[in-house]
Amino acid sequence: MRRKNVFLAILLSGLSLMAAAKDYSAVSFGAKKDGMSLNSAIIQGAIDYIHEQGGGRLVFDEGKYLTGTIFLKSNVTLHLKKGAVLLGSVNPFDYEKNKYIGWTSMIFAIKQDNIGITGEGMIDGRGFLTAVNMVGNIQKGLVTDPLKYDRPNETNRPQNIYFRECTNVRITGVTLKDPASWNQTYDQCRNLYVDSIHVDSKSYWNNDGIDVVDCDSVVIKNSYFDAADDVICFKSHDATKICQNVIVDNCTGRSSANGLKFGTVSRGGFRNFKVTNLKIIDTYRSAITFAAVDGGFVENIEVDGVRSINTGNVIYLRIGDRWSNGKQPYMKNVRISNVYAEVPATKPDAGYSYEGPIEDLPRNISPASIIGLPQYKIQDVTLKNIEIVYPGGGNPHYARRGLTRAELESIPEMPTAYPEFSQFKELPAWGFYVRHATGIRFENITLRAKESDYRPAIVFDDVQQASFNKVNVAEPAAKSKKQVFLHNTTRSK
Amino acid sequence: MRVLKLILFTALLPVFAAAKEYKASLFGILSDGVTNNTRSIQKAIDFIHEQGGGQLVFYVGRYVTGGVQLKSNVTIKLEEGAVLVGAPSVYDYNSSGRIRAIISADGQQNIGISGKGVIEGNALSLMANVAVLQQNGYLRSQDFVRPALMGFTNCSNIKIDSVNLWNGSGKAQVFDACSDVVVETVNISSKQVGGTGGIRLLASKNVLIKDTFIDVALQPYIEGSKNNQSIRVDRAIDPAGKLLSVSE
Repeated sequence: MRRKNVFLAILLSGLSLMAAAKDYSAVSFGAKKDGMSLNSAIIQGAIDYIHEQGGGRLVFDEGKYLTGTIFLKSNVTLHLKKGAVLLGSVNPFDYEKNKYIGWTSMIFAIKQDNIGITGEGMIDGRGFLTAVNMVGNIQKGLVTDPLKYDRPNETNRPQNIYFRECTNVRITGVTLKDPASWNQTYDQCRNLYVDSIHVDSKSYWNNDGIDVVDCDSVVIKNSYFDAADDVICFKSHDATKICQNVIVDNCTGRSSANGLKFGTVSRGGFRNFKVTNLKIIDTYRSAITFAAVDGGFVENIEVDGVRSINTGNVIYLRIGDRWSNGKQPYMKNVRISNVYAEVPATKPDAGYSYEGPIEDLPRNISPASIIGLPQYKIQDVTLKNIEIVYPGGGNPHYARRGLTRAELESIPEMPTAYPEFSQFKELPAWGFYVRHATGIRFENITLRAKESDYRPAIVFDDVQQASFNKVNVAEPAAKSKKQVFLHNTTRSK
Repeated sequence: MRVLKLILFTALLPVFAAAKEYKASLFGILSDGVTNNTRSIQKAIDFIHEQGGGQLVFYVGRYVTGGVQLKSNVTIKLEEGAVLVGAPSVYDYNSSGRIRAIISADGQQNIGISGKGVIEGNALSLMANVAVLQQNGYLRSQDFVRPALMGFTNCSNIKIDSVNLWNGSGKAQVFDACSDVVVETVNISSKQVGGTGGIRLLASKNVLIKDTFIDVALQPYIEGSKNNQSIRVDRAIDPAGKLLSVSE
């Protein structure tokens, strides 16, 4: 874990090279800030000019600058002053689907260096209207799209930012609002620094908070993310690439999907992460979920300091086998510590736009889970100083999973299923369920149920080298119920 | 022989004029005089072209656009009262083809612009934008190319008829290496700014300019080159009613 300090130092020294460069006002290029005049070509002209002059900041003063797709170039920073809004056109034809990336965005950068989006202004994609207009174009036959789930494919809908193969990228201060697809993707970038951004991303399906794909040397800190889909999301799209050397500090997330997520696409791998001081609120699925379901790996991950409030699930670690193409997925050396969590009985994201889908019923409240596959065991996971408050109240007449060998072993493996904490429907524990794992250490774990539940707090199945040090369970009227149930499990000293 | 060819060519025109009509609104093109429709119009042209051709019809209204590129078998029809308004920034013409223009085409066949509507170059706004960019040092005067109202390169079977071509900042029409061109009943008037021109013909052949009125700043109103072939001007006049011919 010590090497992380080294990469942080390298990262910060690299970023400081981007010194204050010349400022150019967008208006001086003829940009109109009336919210009606389309500025795409003018902003592009300005970026090209500044790039050719050696770099600088394109500064947007207070006002609404309507735009479609633009391409950021090396040594150019878009600086959005307070009150400045890059307002997304609601005309889908104003956006480009880039052939190299295979995705649609308002702001692209491809193979550029020393670029940024800074300031206290906003990028407002107005994605709902754009998406609805896109559906109209599809229904009229102007555009071809399968309309799966009655929505245009996410690669065709514009998001706010898509940077690919860029180095020294700074995103600071800005608010990123309402894209039509994901929100901001950094794909195969190196030295990405995100600080003090505010993300409000719940205008349409698949609105994520931030997507970091196969990047190396990343800092995300002091930021707030509110998204319909996953909020702080790391992915590995390329089996030959790795998402690595990442610091996430002092961030808050709200999601109708997951909080901190690795995956779902997880072809290469994830390693060397340090996540500190993470707060997840009103989130439908998991506060923390790591998926290695496409042949990639998850390794050397430390999460220290989590508050998960009114969130449906706290921890879900999963190895699956969707399209591994011969690669052997693994997950090892994960440490999660200093967590306080409250799981509600009601829907955590009720009332938010694009609420998470109600699914995998019937099931009582799902436990935190670590679930590998028989041939791919999750290895060396330490959970330390963790307190989770559950509603309890699991009713066996509604959904039931008992503790007999037959019942435990009838839980399906689901190797090719989309990984979600609820995918197995009813699980046999109310607090923590671990299956197909080795080296699982519970240290100072407190699980509280507010009401009596028919299940025990903890079930381990097919776990080797399990260790329990100070496990406290509190459940009303539990009487002599055995709260830790081990099946096919061996304990280490 | 030359005349015969022209007659034959003119007789063929109704074949593609009768092609399928597409109303601009189908593509979300807006007549509010504010919305920049460049990419919607381009999408419309591309779509009609991919469908095998047809007519993109604009009814009464003001349609702002930057540079769009016409494709084979597509004609633009500007009905009476329809105004295609050139966008007011030079950058809006970076989407042009080889000739910077509101409507350009490179290597296309069977194309046209017709109707009693207007193509409005918006020269005052555009030149004001140019002045600001030059003042700020962003645009060197030698790098500025005044956009034409229409400019075609390596195209054949072009018919421009009935339209009003107003307030260009550069040439009204440029035909470079084009063949079988008819310009008929066209009214060109670009007097808002200096330096405006009429029709320019380069290395083109079988061109008929007929019943056309030209009022622009620079002479000659119909500018030719030595390598043109079979150019015929039939009742083109200047504001004094003087018959115009093509210069060499």
